[in-house]
Amino acid sequence: MKPAVSAAWTYACKVAEVTIGQPKIATFGRMSVGIFQLGDGYAALLNICPHRAGLLCEGPICGTTRQTDKTEFVYERAGELVRCAWHGWEFDIRSGKCLVDDRLKARTFPVHLDGEDLYVELGR
Amino acid sequence: MFIVDTDVHNYWSSAEVLLPYLEPYWRDFLVRGEKPGPTGSFPHGHRPWLHPEGFSRHDIKPQTEEDNYLIMKEKHLDLYDIDVAILTADEPLEASTLANYHYANALVSAYNDYMIDWWLPKDKRFKGSIIVSPTDPHGAAAEIRRLGGHKDIVQVLASHGSQRPYGDPFYHPIFEACAEVGLPFAIHFGGQGGVNHNAVASGPTAYYWETHALLSQPAMTHVVSMISNGVFEKYPELYFIVIECGVSWVPSLMWRLDANFKALRKETPWLKMLPSEYCRRNVRFSTQPLEQPQNVKHLWETLEHMDGQNTLLFASDYPHWDFDAPTNLHIPPAWREKVMGLNALDVYKRIEAPAASARVA
Repeated sequence: MKPAVSAAWTYACKVAEVTIGQPKIATFGRMSVGIFQLGDGYAALLNICPHRAGLLCEGPICGTTRQTDKTEFVYERAGELVRCAWHGWEFDIRSGKCLVDDRLKARTFPVHLDGEDLYVELGR
Repeated sequence: MFIVDTDVHNYWSSAEVLLPYLEPYWRDFLVRGEKPGPTGSFPHGHRPWLHPEGFSRHDIKPQTEEDNYLIMKEKHLDLYDIDVAILTADEPLEASTLANYHYANALVSAYNDYMIDWWLPKDKRFKGSIIVSPTDPHGAAAEIRRLGGHKDIVQVLASHGSQRPYGDPFYHPIFEACAEVGLPFAIHFGGQGGVNHNAVASGPTAYYWETHALLSQPAMTHVVSMISNGVFEKYPELYFIVIECGVSWVPSLMWRLDANFKALRKETPWLKMLPSEYCRRNVRFSTQPLEQPQNVKHLWETLEHMDGQNTLLFASDYPHWDFDAPTNLHIPPAWREKVMGLNALDVYKRIEAPAASARVA
């Protein structure tokens, strides 16, 4: 394995293993982390939902309806949200925040790209 | 800890698993007859609320019929060290929505035989429910008598959607049969379409989530009806189990019932106890989906008023979207042992007590 560029980085997977809409569930010891590709880079979330400890990163990646002032359905943020596999609560992949209650936040990790390799900073 | 999960859904991938268990006439119905979806869908009158994300957890993705068991074993039974899993079927409950009650009877009978044949032998932790269609109470009673003696059958189960409140004498043949074979009668959220058109009071709601939040409505009606019609005087040993209908509504309903009964007892002179006393003696409630207030103490205080320590039965509702994990059930710690498993032993007489259990009478 290629040595980590920084001692704080932990190798997660190859770039090819993650595509938009199809995250990689990487395991570090007993820790499970979802590595996501977004339109502008990568993000990582702990695969434990802060709601009821469900498999957060194994649910569908989706968009949602914008909050509106009238009865209309404006679909937006396609690919920026993950819906927990268990109870379907929506979370912003970048920030880890739950859409209906941003005090509820999934743990996020910085992701670093080095060539064909993706690394996460687990310590932060 | 001894865990009895009172609501585990044994899915199939295709309703065609029933074909070997149907008589030829009904097999033709299922093969060539109209269905509510593609080949493999289960005949039923569908409810008017469509879940916008589908019912199942998104991490449960069976590819084969066998996967339905293997995934359940890995992701639920083994993961949480479940001791007893009571199988509550899934689509077969929806047979209660069909107008043709002969077909409904044939379908639930085929399911019951399939479940006994395919599911029960797979895992010694499994206990079965006899699914009945309440649209034909005498047919349901015959089914209960046909299979009620099986050692691994622990209850009779129907949908909470029905054409009438369950205490109506129309349904008493079902309870007579339950009492005869010594099984509880349980209802489970579902059967809200077809002939069961009154699943929501005041008329149909628009959205799935609002309807799901009102799942207690029919359960309230059924509990009151069972008590007021004297079902528990007629069959004092009968347990009525309410599955997946919420719990925190029970105390306020009992307060109201007791007050009304004290004034108007003369309408139902066959009752010998307060409504809340019948509820305490004969009715049990599964925990899932347990309400989630901001301050859990508000829930716990409410549950105290229904003697939740003794009347609640743990249920996960695996593998549905509103699943409650055994490790994350917010009940008072002191109640845990009883709610998670020991209370079930009072109700489900055919479940063996754990060897290490020192059950206090």
